[in-house]
Amino acid sequence: MCAMRLTGYADKFGVHPGEKIKFYVNCDGPSEFKAEVVQMIHGDTNPRGPGYIERPMDTAANGVYKGRKQIIHSGSYGFVEDAPQFHVDSFTLQCWIWPTTPKTHPRYWKHGAQGLVTKWMDGKGYGLFINEEGCVELRINEHKISTGVPIRDHAWHFIAASFDAETGEVVLYHEPQIVYALDPVIEPVKTTVDTTIAHTAAPTALGAYVEKIDGNDALAQSSLPAGVWFAGKYNGKIDSPRICNKALNRFEIEQMKGGAQPGLTERRNSGPTGALSEVIVAAWDFWDGIDTIAAKDNGPYGFDAQLVNCPTRALTGYNWSGQNFDWKFATKEYGAIHFHDDDVDNARWQVDVEWDVPAEGIKSRFYALKLTTEDGDEDYIPFWVVPEIGKEQSKIAVMVPTISYMAYANEHVACNAGGAELFVYRVPIMQQQNMFLAEHREYGGSIYDTHTDGSGICLSSRLRPILSIRPKYDHFLAQAPWQYPADLHLIYWLETMGYEYDVITDEDVTYEGLARLENYNVIITGSHPEHNSGTQLDALHNYTQRGGRLMYMGADAWYWVHSYHPAYESEGRGVLTEMRRCESGIRTWRAEPGEYYHQGTGELGGMWRFRGRSLYSVAGVGMTNEGFDVSTYYSRTPDSLDPRVAWAFEGIDYDEPIGNFGLVGGGCAGLELDIVDVTLGSPPHTLAVATSAGRHTEAYLLVMEDFGFNQQGLDGTTHPRVRGDIAFHETPNGGGCFAFSSIAFCGSLPWNEGKNNVSTLVGNVLDRFMQDGPLPAAPAEAIKHRGRADYDTPEPATQA
Amino acid sequence: MIPIPKKGTPEREELIRLHRECVDSMKGVAGFSVLKCETPGDTTVVTGGVHEYPTLRRVLMRMRGESPAGKLITICTKVDKEWRIGRLSGIRGVPPEFVNDKVYTDEQEIQHDIFLMRLDELPETAGMPENFEEGWKHRDDNWPVT
Repeated sequence: MCAMRLTGYADKFGVHPGEKIKFYVNCDGPSEFKAEVVQMIHGDTNPRGPGYIERPMDTAANGVYKGRKQIIHSGSYGFVEDAPQFHVDSFTLQCWIWPTTPKTHPRYWKHGAQGLVTKWMDGKGYGLFINEEGCVELRINEHKISTGVPIRDHAWHFIAASFDAETGEVVLYHEPQIVYALDPVIEPVKTTVDTTIAHTAAPTALGAYVEKIDGNDALAQSSLPAGVWFAGKYNGKIDSPRICNKALNRFEIEQMKGGAQPGLTERRNSGPTGALSEVIVAAWDFWDGIDTIAAKDNGPYGFDAQLVNCPTRALTGYNWSGQNFDWKFATKEYGAIHFHDDDVDNARWQVDVEWDVPAEGIKSRFYALKLTTEDGDEDYIPFWVVPEIGKEQSKIAVMVPTISYMAYANEHVACNAGGAELFVYRVPIMQQQNMFLAEHREYGGSIYDTHTDGSGICLSSRLRPILSIRPKYDHFLAQAPWQYPADLHLIYWLETMGYEYDVITDEDVTYEGLARLENYNVIITGSHPEHNSGTQLDALHNYTQRGGRLMYMGADAWYWVHSYHPAYESEGRGVLTEMRRCESGIRTWRAEPGEYYHQGTGELGGMWRFRGRSLYSVAGVGMTNEGFDVSTYYSRTPDSLDPRVAWAFEGIDYDEPIGNFGLVGGGCAGLELDIVDVTLGSPPHTLAVATSAGRHTEAYLLVMEDFGFNQQGLDGTTHPRVRGDIAFHETPNGGGCFAFSSIAFCGSLPWNEGKNNVSTLVGNVLDRFMQDGPLPAAPAEAIKHRGRADYDTPEPATQA
Repeated sequence: MIPIPKKGTPEREELIRLHRECVDSMKGVAGFSVLKCETPGDTTVVTGGVHEYPTLRRVLMRMRGESPAGKLITICTKVDKEWRIGRLSGIRGVPPEFVNDKVYTDEQEIQHDIFLMRLDELPETAGMPENFEEGWKHRDDNWPVT
């Protein structure tokens, strides 16, 4: 049942009216598929709700298309096109490596030899490998010379190999950087090989080798370079690879560790010595150009390698001293690139369907290209029609959390983490998408996952099928919709209540700033806008300061630092996002020491909170707890009677449970929850108008950034901060923020077709926030001095 | 650590009964916990289960913390209609496999059958020195996060 034969993606998330959007489809089996543009209304199939709803669209793109299989050539590597200088007679190859999976399980998805520095294809050429047994191996044509010594994983090793064409002498070195008391000595392997190196047109590869070249193979078109099949994708770090065209002795090899070192006036050559400068073919310095996707060759030929599928950079090298933690100030200690066999930056598929979005008459909404076959296959490729700035269609905008969608893209936690049962507190349910991804690791993981080698994933591309951004998809975390399908709960409600709204994405706000927001009276967020760029937070802050209104519909937002990798701008906006899980926060993996700074922008990653940018400051609340079993409800507090906010509760009795129903956990307060805390950035005048205090299960736990000492009593049955608070505060110039503080919240909106008290509350807020002009001023007595921790600050003395 | 109660003991039968009543009460909830809904399918008031029975709570935590290799999991085979029990491979790129042919038409019901299977599969001394193996030294012992 796990065979999803239809998958696809689009070239963009948001498309303006009058623009073209392209769709790439893998149709693996059926000869044709049907494509239809549909408007997305509700994605939740739960029988207790309205059920799945889409609206057909009559578009020129609708039709039946010829199907073809398209595959993803995942796994990162570097390559340099074939050149005569690589056609050596003798050679020395050398590099540092920190392998993560030198020996894999026989059933591992890419079990087999891994390429390190190779100019080798089909028994011709030369290269350094780790063989299937986990030992360093030199290949010269069909000859394989191995140390026979299993290489230790997660440790630095210097490896080198030389071949003298005249004598046939081969020396293979494997020198661990750290040698423990009971490690055997690894002597260099010396032998002779009687052969003449045969050369091919294969590119030189770093972190892989070329399996074959077949320009006519349709499936090889999505490789880079097209037509070249790479195999032996390596898992681990490589630092300072060099190729010389002479069999160097051990001392010369040691000198070559330093690389080409060009550029000084008195060194009129490119090498550690004059003699060595004459034999360098390539000397790559991975520390040079860390924010690019090229591996710089500082040798005489400048054979810069193109890096494919975005391996991880800005990582500590073999020589990292632990003195500098920001690669920008110690680049030469950051000469490592970590390649992974499941990295993917772009599926590189051929276009199957295009749609020229009409310039007029198309509403800004959630859409998808619905794909079906006569055999019952089905997939949806979501996208959003976003109006150009100045051509807004509504007073309301929904800000679609596309960075968060990318962060969660194709997550494998249910599989990798044994269901993560200790936090979901039940046996998780895998959907067909999870089953497909469990087998098809080439679709890449999410920023919640670890790579197939166990290291954390800190990069996510949108140019690949993202099976978690789908309708009819329940997430294992919630046993209910999460992110995209959960945000459709809100869309269903807006549609049902008859509101006119636009949609804009995180990407738009990141690139366009305040201009993207300021023509709207109110911005509505999604259920879980956790991952944000700095410019997006700037824009939201500027917007609310200038009188804009923000309705924060969920929880755990404004949490992680994200940046789009600048090297992918040529492929479009916001193609690849980066995020590092640094010293604190809820982390499904943890960045290693010295690896906290983004490779793309050089900025410090981690939580915005630890960059001095409190999550509480954006909409008045911040996340304190999470649990994933069942949800509960909110109760009003005395703050809700304050005339500043009482209007929001019209039609809701004071003692009425708010949202003790819903399509996410059975209540509106659940999954992850935010509270008011004026000591952490909530404005001092924030009103906490409803709370779920005291009602959560023991599955709900206080976040680790809120305590410094492990102790009992951190769960929902005991800890006072394990709760959600609905909150309101005014911003300058007639603006305001309303925070509903729970990821499950929107799941209650569709209940009883929108006739419920959560709907009443949200409707009251939206009706007020969407009005033209500033909000009514707060009563004069509300304007007073307030402290933070010292909340009962006495009134200052008045002048006599 | 709390030993996994042996087959045939009253303690074990009581755990099974408590688990059963929680599962039955959770049918219809878009989520799940081993807790008892006062009104079936409604989480307004939840009691019992892991909140009130420490042995049940600890046994469940032991089960939940087991390594991904061979771990039982639920697989949805028809959206919101059919579910089956699978087992994780523990190997990246090798998908879970079904353990039997039984098809469930309620997503909560499967929780109870997996609980029963795990009671049978976990040794009484799971996690104790009797079961020490090399994997404990490189984090494959227990308590996976990712």
